[in-house]
Amino acid sequence: MENSTQESNLRSEICVTYDSPYPIYAMAVTNAAASPHLRRIAVGSFIEEFNNRVDILSFDHDALSLKPTPSLSFDHPYPPTKLMFHPTPSASTSTATSAGNLLASSGDCLRLWELRDTSIEPISVFNNSKTSEFCAPLTSFDWNEVEPRRIGTSSIDTTCTIWDIEKGVVETQLIAHDKEVYDIAWGEAGVFASVSADGSVRIFDLRDKEHSTIIYESPQPDTPLLRLAWNKQDLRYMATILMDSNKIVILDIRSPTMPVAELERHQASVNAIAWAPQSCRHICSAGDDGQALLWELPTVAGPNGIDPISMYTAGAEINQLQWSAAQSDWISIAFANKLQLLKV
Amino acid sequence: MAAGNKKQEEVTENMRKLQLDVAVRSIQWSYAIYWSISSTQQGVLEWADGYYNGDIKTRKSVQAGESPSDQPGLQRSEQLRELYESLYGGETNSQAAKRPSTALSPEDLTDTEWYYLVCMSFVFNIGQGLPGKTLAKNQTIWLCNAHRADTKSASIKTIVCFPHLGGVIELGVTELVLEDQNLIQQIKTCFLEIPVPIVSKIPNDHVCVELDHANMPETGFDPVVDCREVYVSSPDNCSNSFGATRLRDESDVFEGIDGEVSQLQSWQFMGDEISNCVNNSMNSSDSVSQTNGNPEKIVPILNETRECNQQKGDEIHYQSVLSTLLKGSNQFILGPYFGRCKRESSFDSWTKDGLLNAKTVQTRTPQRLLKKVLFDVARMHENCQLKSSKNKEKIVNLSTPEVDEIDRNHVLSERKRREKINKRFTILGSLVPSGGKVDKVSTLDNTIEYLRALERRVEELESCKGVVELESRTTSKLHDAIEQTSDNCGTNHIKKPLTNKRKACDMDELRANCKWILSHVQSSNTDGILSLTVKAQVKGSKVASEGVMRRAIQKVIRRV
Repeated sequence: MENSTQESNLRSEICVTYDSPYPIYAMAVTNAAASPHLRRIAVGSFIEEFNNRVDILSFDHDALSLKPTPSLSFDHPYPPTKLMFHPTPSASTSTATSAGNLLASSGDCLRLWELRDTSIEPISVFNNSKTSEFCAPLTSFDWNEVEPRRIGTSSIDTTCTIWDIEKGVVETQLIAHDKEVYDIAWGEAGVFASVSADGSVRIFDLRDKEHSTIIYESPQPDTPLLRLAWNKQDLRYMATILMDSNKIVILDIRSPTMPVAELERHQASVNAIAWAPQSCRHICSAGDDGQALLWELPTVAGPNGIDPISMYTAGAEINQLQWSAAQSDWISIAFANKLQLLKV
Repeated sequence: MAAGNKKQEEVTENMRKLQLDVAVRSIQWSYAIYWSISSTQQGVLEWADGYYNGDIKTRKSVQAGESPSDQPGLQRSEQLRELYESLYGGETNSQAAKRPSTALSPEDLTDTEWYYLVCMSFVFNIGQGLPGKTLAKNQTIWLCNAHRADTKSASIKTIVCFPHLGGVIELGVTELVLEDQNLIQQIKTCFLEIPVPIVSKIPNDHVCVELDHANMPETGFDPVVDCREVYVSSPDNCSNSFGATRLRDESDVFEGIDGEVSQLQSWQFMGDEISNCVNNSMNSSDSVSQTNGNPEKIVPILNETRECNQQKGDEIHYQSVLSTLLKGSNQFILGPYFGRCKRESSFDSWTKDGLLNAKTVQTRTPQRLLKKVLFDVARMHENCQLKSSKNKEKIVNLSTPEVDEIDRNHVLSERKRREKINKRFTILGSLVPSGGKVDKVSTLDNTIEYLRALERRVEELESCKGVVELESRTTSKLHDAIEQTSDNCGTNHIKKPLTNKRKACDMDELRANCKWILSHVQSSNTDGILSLTVKAQVKGSKVASEGVMRRAIQKVIRRV
């Protein structure tokens, strides 16, 4: 025990912390680097009131510091459920998105913000409701890396909406599930998967909107699946977590209904999962036990299940985990009021 | 001359190998390394020879014919050497793809083997590092808790170095062994003795390996001592090469010769990049070694900062060597080995004991914040919308239009269905005798009761019908004719009771008047004349006269 605290003290230099004045949940790391050693991280607050904020922090690789930028901060109605930066900012060629760095947020509806050097400007609000007043609140969204003009959102009204953000219109809206949809993830340019309170993981192909494939259903019927992550390095694999469960279920889309592996080493429920951005075999998970575990998926699993290869213990339940391709040697976690960057 | 020198070299090397072998096996330690003054670089100690006697993960040996049991350690050491060279000398080794199946691959190695292998690349200035210091001081150094202080490997716990024949012998073990002078003496005697040559058992290619080693520096890769730039930049370089390998058809780096080829090719790529940084940092490393003053006996050291820097330098060196050998960004392929050496990482390697440190908060709801984000935030928005709509005095419709239309259709069809059902309930209510209540439940109850009663009645009547039919068959057809003509009831079922009733009431009348007991009634119709024969017994005090009887019967007939 003592050894571990000593070790954690030694490691304090390689773990960068930001203390926020309020509890935080949503997090995103920008893919555009202003300079190689400076990276921006967006952090959304979680206050159960109307007034919430999104702050932009600057992460300095050399100085190992995380500092907020006061001028780059904006209000958000109610907590943002997810934040995400444009996946390939340098590659975008259209006039609408070529300027600056785009940040998307979800809450009541999808909003786009532009991150400039000294300010953040709202660009658009994507609201699909016909009455133009109400839209079903969004639980999550995902920005398509292959087709950056596509953003898919998931909502509590059981639908998933695919937006063309350059034209500012709905590309399509599908009734994805029987109950609220909690998460959505893109696989290829026109293929996405979603998880729902009805306990199923379904894959949709935009070329064939009538049909979807169920690749997994929770063993206890109607156990909601809360989060989904698609392995961008190996599109066969997905990971999902169930409500009130300490298990991470790894799925192979080629063999539906049977999970490839169930990672069960957390001592409390899992809150977030993220695949490694440059390895097809590694995944990180964080949970209520305050631990972030790094797993390597073996080709053949042992009889006792799979053990993680490394772990990190934070002081409180870890609510959010992001492993960005932009900085693949740092994992960001959020717990209580803190944001921490952990070196892998 | 050259041949003679060469032979001399061979013999010395063989003897040394044997000595190392014997020494390490006699004390049952994990490895022995002989560091010698480099022939190519001034004042630098480099790996000259080694013997590995520690834990092996995957045994890969030649087939039974060659009796590997004689020299398992030797064979392993050779295999490790061979692996090192194949990993390291990629660009020169064109037959890398044709390594035999018994050759080791990276995943076959334990930590200790890895440490041994990486040591092959180490180079120490005099006075630097454990062997360097040993040579400088010309004293034996015994290092305990090497896994903590000297952060090279988590598994090697004790290292002993002593000078020998102008070089340094290093011995290491995975257990913690306290300093023991006797042990040192024992080891030294192994080296001072000239062993009986068992040269015959050493295969010839072993010697060739040694000579190849001498060629190594020419490949252009110089290990570095402090090369932070290398470490940081290698992921970038590696990601390019990784990208290149990804284009291949999903070759799994674990399996197959193809994987190895791709690995080696990318190392080539890496080697070029690194050699540039190497030159720069070599200068800095020289200055580092010079600033290190008198090396003292090394003890487990968390407080000696100077030593710390050195250790860190070693660690970084170890790290950079590993990264360059194994394609930096793909460190995960050998994750466990990386995890166990304490590199710059926020993560600790996984242990089951670590579970005790984990915070178990059972009192609160699991996934509290996640659930709030998914469930409560939506509600917050909806409530807000609700309020704003109330302010605007609009009919609140919280669901989206799409879902609304679907709902409307559903509502309409539902309403129709309800109406149908209600209508049928009223009809049923009218058919069934009700006690006054007209609600659905009572209607159903009454229907059930009525239905049961009717069924019972039908049963009874069906059985009675059987009896009556018997009777009426014995009587005349007129009887039936009368019944049929005078019968107003539509159904045959009800005919019988009524006719029975009639008979009964007729008889009752007669009975009432005269207390008759009927025994038989017979009627016949011949030529339009009905003749009725009644046999009866009279009971009673009064005897009915014939006239009374005639009048009663006439009365009955008239009524008929």
